[in-house]
Amino acid sequence: MSVQDYEVATTGPHAPVSNQPDIASEVIEELTEPSSPGADGEQAAAPGIEVEDVPGHRSLALAADPEIGFNLPITQLPDIGEASFGPPLPREETVHGPDDRTQVTNTAVYPWRAIASLFITAADNSTWIGTGWFVGPHTLLTAGHVVYIKNSGVPGRDGWVKSIQVMPGRNGTNLPYGSVTSNSFRSVDGWINNGDENYDYGAIILGTDLGNTVGWFGYQVLNDADLTASTVNIAGYPGDKPSGTMWFQANRVASVGPRKVYYDIDTAGGQSGAPVWRLVNGDRLGVAVHAYGGTVTNSGTRITSPVASNIAAWKA
Amino acid sequence: MTTSTPLIAGVVRAGKGDPVAAARVYVVDAPVSLPDIAALTGADGTFTIGVPAAGRYTLEANAEGWTPVRETIVAEPGINHIELRFGTRNA
Repeated sequence: MSVQDYEVATTGPHAPVSNQPDIASEVIEELTEPSSPGADGEQAAAPGIEVEDVPGHRSLALAADPEIGFNLPITQLPDIGEASFGPPLPREETVHGPDDRTQVTNTAVYPWRAIASLFITAADNSTWIGTGWFVGPHTLLTAGHVVYIKNSGVPGRDGWVKSIQVMPGRNGTNLPYGSVTSNSFRSVDGWINNGDENYDYGAIILGTDLGNTVGWFGYQVLNDADLTASTVNIAGYPGDKPSGTMWFQANRVASVGPRKVYYDIDTAGGQSGAPVWRLVNGDRLGVAVHAYGGTVTNSGTRITSPVASNIAAWKA
Repeated sequence: MTTSTPLIAGVVRAGKGDPVAAARVYVVDAPVSLPDIAALTGADGTFTIGVPAAGRYTLEANAEGWTPVRETIVAEPGINHIELRFGTRNA
């Protein structure tokens, strides 16, 4: 694996864009950052364990072990995400076959408390739900379409959302760390101006350093081979489950594209922006931002070097 | 409102037709991949979701106290109306 340092792009599709007037002058400091469990300890993770310990969760990654007799294809799967706006031939479902998600109930423990339920108010006052995850003391990463609505077709809706209420570690009506409302957002040119799902990522900036309490995820840029060989974890706040509850699943990566990661992990509307992370010797390292539902695999925006550069700048 | 983008404009109701506010509405079956986000219905139970292509979409509504309900619509460019009605209360 390799983690490379790049400078923040000033032009092109990864050029960062903000709804704040002075963001263009932000200067990058570091491109990578390890995870932090925050103030009150964390859920233990033994060395060599790649899947988070969630009681009741059946690990599909383990079930796919060749020694057990089932091989999940991990390369050359159809790039269904690329067909997002193409001919409407395949059926797209975000829960594939049996629903393999497991509810997380100890959401006040790291890493779960570093994942937040989002209540989004768009420019036209329509409201939505999504997911975000801390990558620093006051910065959450999420999907671009969570902070900036593009090509909705609804008059007055497109553009920066008005506000997002951030509820870390929410469990139903229980908000163990309260909530913070933000109206400061980041995304990139490739999403804002082109609506290109390859650049569908963004950030929420808080006015407080709540991340120092709840902790944050690290992130990692991997080459294709290492990323394809990875087992990834996803947890978020899907709308098809009881309101405000967190659900988890892990599986091997199905395939990768230059700017996308595909996985057969069940998701539903509301999980946009959720972390797609590797558990590496107890360190939680995001490799993608979940964003889309697809036919066989769901997909996220891959954390490439330019994405990592922008995260580093946004968390500064 | 005129648009070439297919819009699914709907209302979520329960029982005899009372609108359900803050219900979660999301697409569960579509001809193309979609952002994994869910709309919340307004005080009048309404919502509008834009989709990138014409075709057959299945939407699901979910709200506390009710068994989730699904409806399918063939969306064409312009506004496409749909109603999702909860009929069974959760235990």
